[in-house]
Amino acid sequence: MKKFLSIVLAVLMVAGCCAALSSCSKDSETIKIGLSGPLTGDAAVYGLGVANAAQMAVDEINEKGGLNGIKLELKAMDDVNDKSKVQNNYAELISWGMQISLGCVTTQPALEFKTLSKEDNVFFMTPSASADAVRAESNGYQMCFADAKQGVAAANYVNTLNLSKIGIFYQSDLDYSTGIRNEFKANLSTGITVVEASFTTQTASNFETQIAQLRECEFIFMPIYYTPAALFMTQAKAETGIKTYYGCDGFDGIESAKGFTISEIPQKITMLTHFNSAATEGAAKTFIDNYTAKYGADTLNQFGASAYDCVYAIFGALKKAVEEGKTVDASTSASDMCEILKAQLNGGYEYTGAVTGTGTVKWTAEGFVNKEALVHVIKEANS
Amino acid sequence: MDFLTAILNGLSSGGTYAIIAIGYTMVYGIAKMLNFAHGDIIMVGGYAMFTTLLLVNQPIPALAVAIVFCVILGICVERFAYRPLRGSSPLAVLITAIGVSSLLQSLAQIVFGAAPKMPTRLQISGAWTFGELRIAYSTVVTLAVTVVVMSALTVFVKYTKPGRAMVAVSEDRGAAQLMGVNTNAIIAITFAIGSALAAVAAYLMLMKAPSLSNTLGAMPGIKAFTAAVIGGIGSIPGAMLGGILLGVIESVALSIPVLAPFTEAIEFAVLIVILLVKPAGLLGKTRREKV
Repeated sequence: MKKFLSIVLAVLMVAGCCAALSSCSKDSETIKIGLSGPLTGDAAVYGLGVANAAQMAVDEINEKGGLNGIKLELKAMDDVNDKSKVQNNYAELISWGMQISLGCVTTQPALEFKTLSKEDNVFFMTPSASADAVRAESNGYQMCFADAKQGVAAANYVNTLNLSKIGIFYQSDLDYSTGIRNEFKANLSTGITVVEASFTTQTASNFETQIAQLRECEFIFMPIYYTPAALFMTQAKAETGIKTYYGCDGFDGIESAKGFTISEIPQKITMLTHFNSAATEGAAKTFIDNYTAKYGADTLNQFGASAYDCVYAIFGALKKAVEEGKTVDASTSASDMCEILKAQLNGGYEYTGAVTGTGTVKWTAEGFVNKEALVHVIKEANS
Repeated sequence: MDFLTAILNGLSSGGTYAIIAIGYTMVYGIAKMLNFAHGDIIMVGGYAMFTTLLLVNQPIPALAVAIVFCVILGICVERFAYRPLRGSSPLAVLITAIGVSSLLQSLAQIVFGAAPKMPTRLQISGAWTFGELRIAYSTVVTLAVTVVVMSALTVFVKYTKPGRAMVAVSEDRGAAQLMGVNTNAIIAITFAIGSALAAVAAYLMLMKAPSLSNTLGAMPGIKAFTAAVIGGIGSIPGAMLGGILLGVIESVALSIPVLAPFTEAIEFAVLIVILLVKPAGLLGKTRREKV
């Protein structure tokens, strides 16, 4: 028995060496991009969307010859949307030889990733972790709108609507809501009259008073989560003065809120987004077609689209750096890679042909993304 | 005009607070205990209505079922949680009441889940319009129900035998017992009335805002308790006055954007001021303590 066991162990060891060797030989030719996201569990639909779309972008780039012949390689680790898993994943990615990262898919793990990656100075660009703090260190960037920056994008949109008066309905004891509201107000054209009503967690059960205040606003901006929004809309069904609701990513999923019958709401419901999953033209359309052909429509979402953009944006920045005479290859250290990418992104690099947003994407020195927001119509007004 | 609208909305939410506050104040007056689980009886009433609506899609039977269910629940809570503690320290009873409150909230969350339900069938929307002034149907219904409940209770307490027994028990429990009043039965009746009113309050709340979660009664319960204290705890007209006053203050504060984030702070500050000026509450009786 002992003999048998020792043979088995010996075989395993040899196999392990071979595997290590084979991965070594493969390693030396690729630029390695690492990623941690929920590939299983409740949030798996986001993680899989990101992993699939990023892989798709990597495959496309490699087919076209990679970065002057150097191929890209992607490794996605599963964190089950649990921040305690991130440290292991990160260590494993580092020992694999990760040079660049897409960070984490969801916010809590991403905050953990931020701290870890700071020490090694690993560049990351998260497709979807939207908390402002995710990009607080100089090595972190976002492809999605940061929470509060949605206010800027929303204000830019509202400024184009030619409205003379709008309503804002926000939650005064929620950072997410007040953050967006403050940025929104700061960036709104001065010609627009604002009527504001707010609530707190404690007063979130009845919006009669707030509806009375906002009754005459045709357009109401609601930087809040969908549960109170659904209640407001249900209570304000009979208000013919209100025509349109406009929300941010907190509205994501409102149509499936429990017990909320969205078709009963006569008003138009819209939200700010950076990706239109029903796009019929442009880069977004090409992405949707290719993605669904490869992975099906189940995991198609804005997270994936954003990840696809991350890979192309990073690739574009590397390509530009090479054109400018920098050396980028499989042996470049993660920290050097980080400095090269930072110099590009902070030095006016523009990513064109994005699937999310419209047209070009830029970054501020703080790592915030700067791109045009789209308006997603969740529901048209009932006629 | 905006101010008038705020006052009207305040009367509407104040009416609901008043009905909840009556439950608090009656139980306090008669059993001399603070039933902090009262707010959660409202929540249970809400879920009882929600469940009935799934079976028969009619609001009135749903309300009836909720009232019956809450009355049974209220009597059971009194019988099994509070009665064994009668005569023990007020602190023990208070802690038990808080325990019952957590129990009910957790049970509701286990049974119905954490996501809020929206029983829109209960909703009464629409309003009468007089020029710029709009009076919501729900406001009128709330005020009508409050007035009816208030008058019915007054008549009950003044002119019926159990009602007068209640007054007797609240004045002096020992003496009432010696005079042949069954205090346990009277206390049970008080809980039954309070719980029935909680079910009515649940209906009034969901009629205006159909959002039902396991914390439905928590904040209104605390507000109503505040209202009962403002009005003078133990006094039924006091609870009514306190409820309406608190509702109007809340609504007016909410309608002024600068003050809106501080609504709760303002409400509880009013409580402090009133307690400083009139420690027994607006309509409370000041009793001289014998030394």
